[in-house]
Amino acid sequence: MSTRTAVGGDSTTVPTPTPERRRPAGYSVLRTGRASFLVHRRAVTVAAVLTLLLAAATLAYLCVGESFVPPGEALKVVLGRPSPDELVVGTLRLPRMVVGLLVGAAFGIAGALVQTVARNPLASPDIIGISQGASALTVGALTFGVTSYAVLPYVSIAGGLVAAALVYVFAWRGGLQATRFVLIGIGFAIALRSITTLFMTKGDYLVAQQAQIWMTGSLNGRSWPEAQLLGSTLLILLPAIAWAARAQRTVSMDDDTATALGVRLGRVRLGLVLVGVVLASVATGTAGPVDFVALLAPQIARRMTRTAQIPLVCSALTGAVVVVLADLLARRLFSPTELPVGVLTAAVGAPYLIWLIGKRHSIRSRTVGGKS
Amino acid sequence: MTRLQARELTLAYEERTVVHGLDLDIPDGQVTVIVGPNACGKSTTLRALGRLLKPRAGSVLLDGTALAKLPTKRIAQQIGLLPQSPVAPEAITVADLVARGRQPHQHWWQQWSDEDERAVTEAMSRTDVAELAERPVDELSGGQRQRVWIAMALAQETELLLLDEPTTFLDISHQVEVLDLVRQLNHDRGRTVVVVLHDLNQAARYADHLVAMRAGEVVASGAPSKVVTAELVREVFGLDCVVVPDPVTGSPLVVPGAPWGA
Repeated sequence: MSTRTAVGGDSTTVPTPTPERRRPAGYSVLRTGRASFLVHRRAVTVAAVLTLLLAAATLAYLCVGESFVPPGEALKVVLGRPSPDELVVGTLRLPRMVVGLLVGAAFGIAGALVQTVARNPLASPDIIGISQGASALTVGALTFGVTSYAVLPYVSIAGGLVAAALVYVFAWRGGLQATRFVLIGIGFAIALRSITTLFMTKGDYLVAQQAQIWMTGSLNGRSWPEAQLLGSTLLILLPAIAWAARAQRTVSMDDDTATALGVRLGRVRLGLVLVGVVLASVATGTAGPVDFVALLAPQIARRMTRTAQIPLVCSALTGAVVVVLADLLARRLFSPTELPVGVLTAAVGAPYLIWLIGKRHSIRSRTVGGKS
Repeated sequence: MTRLQARELTLAYEERTVVHGLDLDIPDGQVTVIVGPNACGKSTTLRALGRLLKPRAGSVLLDGTALAKLPTKRIAQQIGLLPQSPVAPEAITVADLVARGRQPHQHWWQQWSDEDERAVTEAMSRTDVAELAERPVDELSGGQRQRVWIAMALAQETELLLLDEPTTFLDISHQVEVLDLVRQLNHDRGRTVVVVLHDLNQAARYADHLVAMRAGEVVASGAPSKVVTAELVREVFGLDCVVVPDPVTGSPLVVPGAPWGA
């Protein structure tokens, strides 16, 4: 018989004999003083591999193009040393690549967060109308003569938030049911696309053409101001993203269990969606709706890490790798004609989406928020 | 002493009122079993005791304070609750799931203390799931999965534990196993346990304190030997029966009466 008394007290002695110590499988604990952090070992390895891959992709991006630049020269430019390739690498390729990298990272995180909250891999901001809301309002603003890239990103954020709110309100029936949420989102996405088209036919020819290119998602002509905006958004949201990474652990459980564990589910969920919507909208605002990155990146990352929730850092890295590589291909595939990067991501993403929808039949749909 | 009480509790789902003006005292350090026919409001009551359902009127009191006024994390340090059909995240491993029971004791800067490790280790060995630690929860049998969920609730190390029909999808040997475990938890640690069951005989066998509900009201409560009578069974379940002593435990055993009209 054990003589240990009640639970929890600070002075409780360690039970004897000590059984084998248990911690979540696959995690390591980092400790400093009283602070301790759980780290998923495989996720760390995957993040390291993705970082190397990203480094290789960015280098290739800087070297390959209309004229080939040797890696050594490209690196010189990045490090700010004088080089004859200053113009091609430093002025043309580098800023565009940085924008692509940040757009990919933002879409990756946004997709991971929205998919986590909806507990459905289909519920990505580019599927359920958030990107389309951002597009519609942006194109609307373009047709009314707002062409400043200093204003447009904020218009996009507003559009994304309004679309998210609308989908949420229409999907709510005393609770959020994942399938209904996704279907209503897809409906809104279609409706918002038509509104965008309407704006384009109303606007004058030049504006429509500009909007059309923006709409397919293009990094063409993007430069440091856009990179700065995206970079500072990610930086400002960094604490929120760190919080989100941990909050995901509980939100991925069912509602009753999460509540019983002391999670303020409504607030946490709202917080996660807000971060996701802002990131998706800012990314859409700078590069247009680069379709399917938010849908694909988190699921690729999760399959690699095999974690129980979608890994945020790895989703961001995967998104960055995907967009940088896709834009490299978009630039070179039919050279000298450059494709918008969105065409490339769509070519990969669309078959995946079809496969995913086909597969969904076998997965029970889960209720989110409230008892149905 | 009763730490957990319900006062004039009225519970409803949208328009449908399920429980009307219910008063309930959960005796400390005992196993309370709530029984009743389907849709009598027993699970609804348990959900309200664990603040999963907001009362329409009245309140649930923990140490005299309404649950609605307490921070949910503080409640989670006192009351553990296992819902009727919890859903695990896809591909989660057993040890990872059990570890999430530690959530209410953790902070962002303190994600895994020695205390967490001790609690999880202990919960897993108690429920006999230690050797499943690395397995994905999806791959387990119903009985194993239920033990894992109970381990998660145990790892929370709360003085009060609420279990909503923990035996539902289990075969009889696993049902007995789970209920024995519940009894043992209460016996070894003096934990207060509230269980919702629909099997009256199991309720009579495992309860210190039995609460019989019908149509959203408490019909009778007290020790099983006092509460379980042929009249009560007729009133609550609408069943004619004979009540005899259980040959093993001596607790009341309900035997349904003459089914063929003999």
